[in-house]
Order: sequence, then structure tokens, then C-alpha cells
Amino acid sequence: MHNQQSFWQLNKAVILFALVALTMPLWFPLINGYSGLDTKIMIFCIFLVGFDILLGFTGYLSFGHAAFFGIAAYSTGLMLKNFSDNIIPAIIVAVIAATLVAIVIGLLTLKRTGIYFSILTLAFAEMFHSMAMAMLQTWTGGENGLTGMPTPMLFDIKMQGSAVFYFSAIMAILMFYLAKRIERSPVGLMMKAIKCNQTRLEYTGINARKYKLLAFVISAMYAAVAGALMVVYEPFVGHEFLGWHQSGEVVIMSVIGGVGTLVGPMIGAAFMLYFENVLSVDLGEQWLLVLGLIFMFVVVFMPGGFMEAVERIKKRFITTADSE
Amino acid sequence: MPILDIHQVSLSFGGLKALQNVNLKIEQGTTHALIGPNGAGKSTLLNVLTGMLKPDDGSVMFDGKPLLDVDSYDINQLGIAKVFQTPAIFPEMTVLQNVTIPVFAARDGSFRLNMLEGYSKQRPLIEFAEEQICELGLDKHMHTIAGSLSRGDKRRLEMAICLANKPRLLLLDEPTAGMARHETEKTIELLQGMKDGITKVIVEHDMNVVFSLAEKISVLSQGQIIAEGSPDEIKGHPKVIEAYLGEAQV
Repeated sequence: MHNQQSFWQLNKAVILFALVALTMPLWFPLINGYSGLDTKIMIFCIFLVGFDILLGFTGYLSFGHAAFFGIAAYSTGLMLKNFSDNIIPAIIVAVIAATLVAIVIGLLTLKRTGIYFSILTLAFAEMFHSMAMAMLQTWTGGENGLTGMPTPMLFDIKMQGSAVFYFSAIMAILMFYLAKRIERSPVGLMMKAIKCNQTRLEYTGINARKYKLLAFVISAMYAAVAGALMVVYEPFVGHEFLGWHQSGEVVIMSVIGGVGTLVGPMIGAAFMLYFENVLSVDLGEQWLLVLGLIFMFVVVFMPGGFMEAVERIKKRFITTADSE
Repeated sequence: MPILDIHQVSLSFGGLKALQNVNLKIEQGTTHALIGPNGAGKSTLLNVLTGMLKPDDGSVMFDGKPLLDVDSYDINQLGIAKVFQTPAIFPEMTVLQNVTIPVFAARDGSFRLNMLEGYSKQRPLIEFAEEQICELGLDKHMHTIAGSLSRGDKRRLEMAICLANKPRLLLLDEPTAGMARHETEKTIELLQGMKDGITKVIVEHDMNVVFSLAEKISVLSQGQIIAEGSPDEIKGHPKVIEAYLGEAQV
């Protein structure tokens, strides 16, 4: 009995997320969400959970994670087009490619902290962006993007519609679970200690540099899985996958949702994608203005993001329940 | 054989000679104080010992192993811990998490890829961390966020962090700086209480602290060791009086 309870307590967030995610096709249309958007939300949940392992745990703000997202997307596209329409080898190759790039970029950028780290990551991502636009045009399709992929297959299953959704949702659940496991492990503890006091950590016998690189590479791998799934979802890769706009969007999603909570950034992603695609229908281009206002409101009044609001509401309920 | 052997260490910042041919031997199990006027090079010497600064010349041996060109975390893994002037802790974590980190550092070394192990499930390790916390009198604050502790308790927590991976040499950089009288007394008691085998090097301005703890004292002035001896020898040493009071009269 005791074990069951602790299993539930440890995995409460994952189980709730699984319930919400897997039932999404049932309730999402009720709030005007169209099918396809739910898949995109799942894919970005993966991206954002991984990003939080870097930003939320170690406190390192990368403005270049589109690089890994984009590299994985191009690799997946090229694999589907030239090698096999099976998505499994394509995703594996994409993740390996992005991981190798992440190790190199990580080694070079993690020598610096704060704003210098952010700018360096941005610079690297922009480098890849311009490479995709010019040097590697024959491979990437440059301005027009990479097209002409066959319908992706998961062995005998055509990856279209709800097949893509459930595949993405299961990946998101698994990767969220993995992130939670990392958070509870000694590795997660050390990563969070980097954000608290890196000097003390080094003087406590921990090689902070290696843990930072590990967090950076893991978050890049999450971004790569998301990038690969984007191509499975829609067989097209545009150069904007690698652009700074994509990197910035991830940061905004994290901040709105609540940095360092793992769940928060996923909520941030769902909120922004829903807002961008559903609510903006009435607002047109003005929605960016509203988004800007929401972002400012969150940063000024709720620096912990949506998750802080949730915590405050919880606390209020508990205190009123106590006083009664 | 001394546990720490500093031999002919020199270090300059630009034109300033912060350390000049410093020779110092610290005997196993003793408490050795470093005193001297401001800017004498005491903290610089500690920073050399922790790997933060690389000297231009000389050698440092700890327990027969060379320390120079070793990274800070590996120096700690060899058994040297440092207590900072302002308590260096992990402020956003609980007291227990603070002390869990060195316990895992002692078990796993400076890096280990154990991403799937739940750290709070490692009962013997967590219990050891809890014992350390209790020993330093922080039992009431086990799950308190460390940043909200009083200054004195932060200092205790820092000591707990340092002691949890069982160091053989503890470096203390003005452990009582900025403390009220009664907190200073408590810190002295704390340091006296852990005399079992841990060698201590203490940099301190408060002579009361120095004379109640140290068995041996070295006096630094302008980057050089000008005197060394027992507390009684140092008290009346003419060079020491000169270094502290006399420069204007020379």
C-alpha cells in the first residue's frame, strides 16, 4: 500500500499529463482546437520539457536551441527522402546528428555564463541558419524549404492524422517521465545546484562543467526529437525552423509557463500554440500585441509563470480550508 | 611528514607581488592560523590551495600529491574543503539537499551518469546527511530553504556541507567575519569540537579566535612569511608587532 502511494505521488504529474494528452482528441475540438494543432502541441511539449532541463535546472539561457530542432528536422527530411520512409531510422539519425552538434557547441559556449552564453548560442544557431539558406541550399532547398518527402511510415502504419498524434503524445509522455526521473536523480540535483551556486558546487568536489554540458546535450536531444517529429507531422522543413524566432519562441513559452517546473513550460507551449492558432483568428495580426502584453504581465506580476499562479491558488485554498 | 607542504610559492598580479617564496608546512591534525595585516596575501594563499589561482612559481604537495594544475573539484575530492568568508551554500535548496550534494560527491566522484537513480531513495546516504545536519545543530531546519537561515546557521550549514565528504584538510577564510560576539563564541566551540583528525588552516583577523584555536601561527606580511611559532611565541614577536603597528616608524 505504501509503495503504491509513493508511486502515485512520484508520478502524479506524469499520470495527469498522460490522461490529458491521450484524451486530447476528445476534448480539444470542444474548445475550437483543430486536429493537427494537438499534435503540434505534443511536439512542442517535448521541446519545452527538454529546454527546461537546461534553463530551469542549470539556469543557462540558450537562444540557439532552434539549431538542434532545425538540424534534426532537416536530417529527418533527408532521411525520409533519400533513405527510407520509415521514421525510426530517420529519428535516430536526426537525434545523433543534433547531439554531435550540441556537444561541439556546448563545449564552446559553456565556457561563458549569463548574457555571453546566450549570445554565443544565438550566434551559432544563426550560423546554421545561414548555412541552410546558402551553402547547403542543394540539400536544404534554401528559401523554398525541403519538400518532396514520401508519406512517413512507422513500419506498416501510415503516419498521418491521429497516428502522428498518438505517436507524438506517447513520445511526449515518455520524455516527460524521463525528465522527471532525471530531476529526482543525483544528476538532477547537481544540475540544480549549478543554478544555485556554481562555485560552492565546484568546491564540493563536483565537475560542474560536465554536468552543464550534459544538461545542454540532453536538452538538445529533446529539441531534436521535437524537430524530427515536426517533419513526421508535416513533411516539410522550412529555414525558419533554424531561425532565431524559433529559439525565442521557446524562451517565451518557458517564461510564461514557469521556468524550472517542467510542467509549466509545457503549459506555456500549449497556451501559446492555442493562442496563436485559435484565438488569433479573431485578432488577426494583432495577436502578437496581446501576446506581448501577456508576457509583460507574467514577467512583472508572476515571474514564476502560470505555475506560480497555480501554486498561489493552491495555497489560498489550503489556508481558507484551514481557517474554516 | 606534513600533510600540506607549500614550497617556494610566488605569485604576482601585474607588478604586485602577492606571494613571495612562501614556505609553509602544515602538520597532520593541527590547527594552523594564518594572520597578518590586510593585503598580506592570506586569502591569496588559500586560493592557491583550492586551485582558484595558479602561482607563478613553487610547488604545493598535499599528502604527497602535487596540487598545482589540479582542478578545484579534484582538489576537493582529494580531501581539501574550504569555508568561505561569506557562507557559500545553495540558497534555493533545502538544508537536507545542501548536504546531500557532498554526500553524493563523496560516493560518485566528480561526475557520474546516474540519471535514473532516485537520490532520496538512497536511505544510508540520506541518513548520513541527516546525521551531519544534526551534529551541527540544524535538526530543526532539515527541510528549511537554506537561503532563509540566519547568518550563523548558514555558516553551520556550510560547515556541514564541507564536513559531509569527510575532508582531511579544512581551510577556513575568516569564519567569524561579521558575526556577533555570541555567534563567534559558538563558532569557536564548533571548531574546537571537531578536532578529531581534521587538519585546519584558518585565516582570521579576530585574535581572540586565533588564540583560542590555533596550535601554530604563521604571520604573513607583504606576501612573505615573517614569523612562525606557537601562540605564545607570536604574541611577543618583534617582527609581528612591527608588521601590525610599526611600518610608519621604520
